[in-house]
Amino acid sequence: MSNGLSRRDFVRVGGLSALGVGLPELLRMRAACAAETSISSTKRCVLIWLDGGPTHLETFDVKPDAPSEVRGPFQSIATANAGIRICELLPELAKRSNDLAIVRSVTSPLGEHNFGTHYLLTGYKPTPALVYPAVGAVVAHLRQQNDAVLPAHIAAPRFRVGGGRFDGQGFLGPAARPFSVGADPAKPGFGVADLDFYPGLDQDRLERRRRFVKSIEAFERGSESGSMPDDPHFEQAFRLVTSPKAKAAFDLSEETDATRNRYGRKSIGQCCLLARRLVERGVPFVTVTNPGWDTHQDAYTRLKEGFAGARVPVGLVPSLDLAVSGLIDDLRDRRLLDDTLIMVMGEFGRTPKLNTSGGRDHWPRVFSVLFAGGGVPGGQVVGSSDAVGEGPKDQPVTPADLAATTYRLLGISPKHLLHTTDGRPVKLSAEGKEIRELVG
Amino acid sequence: MNSVILIFAVISAAPPRQADLVDFDTEVAPILSKAGCNAAACHGSASGRGGFKLSLFGGDAAMDFEAIVRDREGRLLRFDKPEDSLLLAKPTGMLEHEGGFRMEADSEFAGLIARWIAQGADRHMRFELEDVSVTPSHHITSAPAEFPIKVTARFRSQTGRSITRDVTRIAVYESSDTSALDVAENGVVSLKRRGRSVLVVRFLSRVLTVQVSAPLADAPIESRDAIRVNWIDDEVLTTLKQLRIPLSPQATDAELIRRLTLDLTGRLPTPDEAERFANDKSSGKYEALVERLMQSDAFDDYWCFRLMSLLRVGGSVRDEQANSTYANWIRKQITDRRALTEVATDLLVAVGDTHENGPANFYRTGAGARKQAEFISEALMGVRLRCANCHNHPLDRWKQDDYHGLSALLANVEAGQTVRLLKGRHVKNPKTGLDAIPKIPGEQFIEPDGDGRVDFAKWLTKPDNAFFGKAMVNRLWKSLMGRGLVEPADDIRATNPASHPELLTRLEREFWTEGARLRPTLKTIVLSAAYRRSSRTRPGNENDDRFYSHRRPKTLEAEVLVDAISDVSGVAETFGLLPEQTRAVQLFDPKTPSKSLDVLGRCSREESCEVAAGAEVGGGLSARLHLLNGKLLNEKIASPSGRLQKMLKQGDDNRSIIEAFYWQALSRPPSESELSYWNHEIPKGPDRKAAFEDFVWSLLSSSAFSNNR
Repeated sequence: MSNGLSRRDFVRVGGLSALGVGLPELLRMRAACAAETSISSTKRCVLIWLDGGPTHLETFDVKPDAPSEVRGPFQSIATANAGIRICELLPELAKRSNDLAIVRSVTSPLGEHNFGTHYLLTGYKPTPALVYPAVGAVVAHLRQQNDAVLPAHIAAPRFRVGGGRFDGQGFLGPAARPFSVGADPAKPGFGVADLDFYPGLDQDRLERRRRFVKSIEAFERGSESGSMPDDPHFEQAFRLVTSPKAKAAFDLSEETDATRNRYGRKSIGQCCLLARRLVERGVPFVTVTNPGWDTHQDAYTRLKEGFAGARVPVGLVPSLDLAVSGLIDDLRDRRLLDDTLIMVMGEFGRTPKLNTSGGRDHWPRVFSVLFAGGGVPGGQVVGSSDAVGEGPKDQPVTPADLAATTYRLLGISPKHLLHTTDGRPVKLSAEGKEIRELVG
Repeated sequence: MNSVILIFAVISAAPPRQADLVDFDTEVAPILSKAGCNAAACHGSASGRGGFKLSLFGGDAAMDFEAIVRDREGRLLRFDKPEDSLLLAKPTGMLEHEGGFRMEADSEFAGLIARWIAQGADRHMRFELEDVSVTPSHHITSAPAEFPIKVTARFRSQTGRSITRDVTRIAVYESSDTSALDVAENGVVSLKRRGRSVLVVRFLSRVLTVQVSAPLADAPIESRDAIRVNWIDDEVLTTLKQLRIPLSPQATDAELIRRLTLDLTGRLPTPDEAERFANDKSSGKYEALVERLMQSDAFDDYWCFRLMSLLRVGGSVRDEQANSTYANWIRKQITDRRALTEVATDLLVAVGDTHENGPANFYRTGAGARKQAEFISEALMGVRLRCANCHNHPLDRWKQDDYHGLSALLANVEAGQTVRLLKGRHVKNPKTGLDAIPKIPGEQFIEPDGDGRVDFAKWLTKPDNAFFGKAMVNRLWKSLMGRGLVEPADDIRATNPASHPELLTRLEREFWTEGARLRPTLKTIVLSAAYRRSSRTRPGNENDDRFYSHRRPKTLEAEVLVDAISDVSGVAETFGLLPEQTRAVQLFDPKTPSKSLDVLGRCSREESCEVAAGAEVGGGLSARLHLLNGKLLNEKIASPSGRLQKMLKQGDDNRSIIEAFYWQALSRPPSESELSYWNHEIPKGPDRKAAFEDFVWSLLSSSAFSNNR
């Protein structure tokens, strides 16, 4: 935290009341403190969203001693940290376990895709009264600089999560909606649509169009007082198109083959590579979405091989392994790892017992979430599930706790207040408790 | 609180009299709900918790009784020392309990459970719940405020006697928004903010709601704004008056014709139509316009499009012939003005070759009986039955039997290119592990041998059906007013009350008396003063998003926007190999290649196309980028065959070009100050063409154009 008081100072300030600082003064100090420390950090986040609900039992919470229908089709392997074992399909991450913090006791009551997604991404259970913004949207809202050429929350390939009913913006409105890249960087000829000048257009003409639109809106409003805010998407689109720097951010051809390969050539890997290019340029939040984790049937093929009989496994888990380990290495090489929080999660876990179709069904009662980078102490497991991965054994962590922890790790106070359009104050996280093993 | 010991001393002295017997179903079971034992995160979870499983929110007393008394050889209960029973020792904190402390050991609730155990833990079934009521059900107050509510239950005893009991202390309360309204366990409500809040009250299987309103302003609203045209306005005005939200005035002619034409036909009015309406001085011109639009082909096209979205035509079926047959059939239903009940019946009972028989395609929508049952419940009943797949619906009346019963009723349908009825196919009910028995949701089981679809269709389309009419009118209301009376529109349930309950009931009643047809309901709504209000807000009503104090602007749907751009620019968008003049709303296949539609965010129809009220349709920044810098607008504006280039070529002056595009895009002439602004901005000489292109581009990119205000 570059200016203002550090978090420890804050704790000390809180303690001053006992030493005779009056309440109004204390509140003022607190307010000053919150204003300065809540958004001044430079920390960034790459959220890797495994859409559909990733199995915990075939990734980060293996049960080698459980009966076969629980254990599943894969073995476990040792990691660089004694006592931590993960799935054999994650050999690269196993080597880098010193960088990983695995939370194995995440628990939620919501086993439906849209509901679970809302809870995990916002830290709030869904309610008809209010749609909450995703953590990424909040970060974008707090960190978006008015003149930034790149949007503050970018989703690759697109922000499509949990059945598609949640667009991420919540009550913050369209300005906070993540920008979807809209194309898969693993495909040949990848590029963001409509970024290059349309033939015949140039900077001057776009400037004029911008002026014209503003005039039309002003005339439409007529004599009414008060100026309407500019359409944030229009302004953002304008800056994107008129900035060569912004366009370069999406140009993966600037990367060497070696770099592209270390992430794996599947969508999740190349999206993670794009995420690195974006956080490198100061984008505070990138969401990588990876569909296909709703493995009700045929988990063996889908998780490991990718297609039946594949020589080199290219299924969901090996692709995840390459993508995340590539991202960790690359960020470390560029001295960005400590400033970039990596999170891997989905809307819930999967049933402890394999079903008759060789898959697992929805299971929110316990599942795992992975943290790396961003100053999180690695080489640790937080919490645990019971012997069959059915419920949390100790230290249950709710999605609200995850959100509070994420905010803290990004240098944002979870008690920071946002306001809905009708002026109602909402804390970033009302009930979440920060996970002390992660926030230090 | 009475000492528990004392009670035991009394009852162990003599056998309890019949009147003192604690009744499991009506006295013990509610405690399990009140203490949260049967919540989804606890023992109400689909697989229970800690080896003890209760029905979710006490939906099944028989099952709960079995679980408590017989499971694990009755280990939960100790008849010698009732208070030491696991059933009590855990929630009172005497033994370790993952769910934590739920009740005091010497509380009235714990005492009642102990007494029930001491009496032998029988299921007497002495009483049956008949009715629950709550007073007040609508409370108007000022905020902040505190007031008590009272919940009364009426039971019928075994002897047929009716008794009432105050159950305020044992009913379960849930605030829809705890930052606005809190409720204590004893039923004392505290209202913290102004506005309208809803409290949900649950007792056994019944759910009720309490509406609490606190005026948003201190001064009453001015009555001259409170215009009433028809009964729609009654409850809308009452609510606005109660909440003291100022009303916006009625919209102008130009605003009205643009709004109405877009809402009823998905098109912009032509300049001709708009000008004629503006110059028409007759008093009935708005009503005449409504009639004319409802008779138009464009109306049929647009409502066919809306129905195709609801029925998800082409969402998952890649069979062009079938989809086109389906689409043609749907359009004919609109053209022929058939009752929606008849349409639903035809869909539900259809069989045959989907290439020839349109409605048969209905059964190709969901993959399998279960998915089809979910689809039917959402599309035709406006409810989310799918929650009841794994457990009884937590917030509604739906049980697993209902979900699997409706699936079972469809089990015999084989849906390939030909839809046919087979025999002897079943779906499993995971709760019982047996074949599910066909059942009308919430009603009776039916004969497994017949075609249950016929019974279902008959039930669904009877005028007293609680779902079909409500779901239909709520959707129609939403499509015109921008927000459902119940929102989300496919989540109708007692715990999600309507913003205007009487209005919804009246619309539903009218729907049935008018023969369950589309046009009469639409007409009643668009004639109301509520529909005709301006979208311009006034101080004090800017934040109103559900009481209709002003018009809620709607973003144009992707298809409508693309068509409107084609009309104004004079250059039609082309879709694959389809004929040139095909409009986007006429496409029956949502996968028809069109980058513009993709970027602008058309619904893929793979799932429900229901958009949450207030959610902006369209693709946000990507859409903006496309409009700014992509082909859609730029190509059309520059096209030699387009309106602008033609006018430039034939040497039209500034004024005629500017006026033409204002009429086209905004259905009104430019004002004098607008004209002079553009005249000033459009240079003479070589840059004139580019400046006009930028003018047209800006008009089509303005929110005035892309919104239906």
